[in-house]
Amino acid sequence: MLSSAKHNKINNHSAFSISSSSSSLSTSSSLGHNKSQVTMEEVWKEINLGSLHYHRQLNIGHEPMLKNQNPNNSIFQDFLNMPLNQPPPPPPPPSSSTIVTALYGSLPLPPPATVLSLNSGVGFEFLDTTENLLASNPRSFEESAKFGCLGKKRGQDSDDTRGDRRYKRMIKNRESAARSRARKQAYTNELELEIAHLQTENARLKIQQEQLKIAEATQNQVKKTLQRSSTAPF
Amino acid sequence: MSLSRRDPLVVGSVVGDVLDPFTRLVSLKVTYGHREVTNGLDLRPSQVLNKPIVEIGGDDFRNFYTLVMVDPDVPSPSNPHQREYLHWLVTDIPATTGNAFGNEVVCYESPRPPSGIHRIVLVLFRQLGRQTVYAPGWRQQFNTREFAEIYNLGLPVAASYFNCQRENGCGGRRT
Repeated sequence: MLSSAKHNKINNHSAFSISSSSSSLSTSSSLGHNKSQVTMEEVWKEINLGSLHYHRQLNIGHEPMLKNQNPNNSIFQDFLNMPLNQPPPPPPPPSSSTIVTALYGSLPLPPPATVLSLNSGVGFEFLDTTENLLASNPRSFEESAKFGCLGKKRGQDSDDTRGDRRYKRMIKNRESAARSRARKQAYTNELELEIAHLQTENARLKIQQEQLKIAEATQNQVKKTLQRSSTAPF
Repeated sequence: MSLSRRDPLVVGSVVGDVLDPFTRLVSLKVTYGHREVTNGLDLRPSQVLNKPIVEIGGDDFRNFYTLVMVDPDVPSPSNPHQREYLHWLVTDIPATTGNAFGNEVVCYESPRPPSGIHRIVLVLFRQLGRQTVYAPGWRQQFNTREFAEIYNLGLPVAASYFNCQRENGCGGRRT
């Protein structure tokens, strides 16, 4: 549990670094939640913008409320917001399909700094444990907020290389997709050509068969007349 | 008639990556076991373990043909820096017969792509005469165009290709 808690901190700080750096606060509020969740947004704003001391006090004050209002919902909104803002959305976790569909509406946001490109996958892996932890111990936020500053700094250092790698991967994926399409198209064309070829051959064979039938019929007629003529002398 | 833009060889980039545009002059029928190879067919290594039966058309016995089988997608289709790999080379095949009547100068090595979906191309050239084509020193870094130029084979007279990928899995990226 300890180790997983550590992981959650890391995941959370990634969530924080994005929400504070790329103004996803406004996007999550623009999603149009009901009123109980709007208050949660306020809590979030305070957590992100306020100093740690202030936040500590505030958090103590709000703790019961957090528990009452099913905090997972709006926390997850923010949490899920950030990986989905990137152009190739990672496969959504099967458990939270409704949340994800709601979030696809906020896709047009420009992709934020690629700090999260590597974290996002991990974040999803730990979703379930995060859920439990958030519900039971909302205090882990404040600690993660501290980590948030550090994480941001760390992320910006290797921003370029990561972006570069991501770009390369994207290009490679596009090429691969193009090849796949070409393969499919080539095979389809081949089958179409074969159909056309078989159809013409079929037509040709049908005509040939008709001709043979007619030839046979006339031959039979000839035979009959021959038989008659041959039987004539008797 | 020359190849149309919709021809599977063109769409599959076989013409371009391996061959120059050409005109089909001779029929080429490739059969693995009971499966006749159509362009773009998907075959697994287990289906291509043994060499196929190749039947060629033409009319004059005195014409000889060279059959080349290459993999242009080595080591992987996304980065084919070792293009091409020679899998099979049969020379002196008389028209209207097949590979059994030719001279197998580079024996058949069955395709076993390590990653990705590889195209395996079979090309038929008409030789200028009998015993005018010789085997290259090695299979790696084979170049069909160069090979045809060296032995004055000109443009291909027939070609066919199929796709081959690993036995299990989708053949995608693997690390």
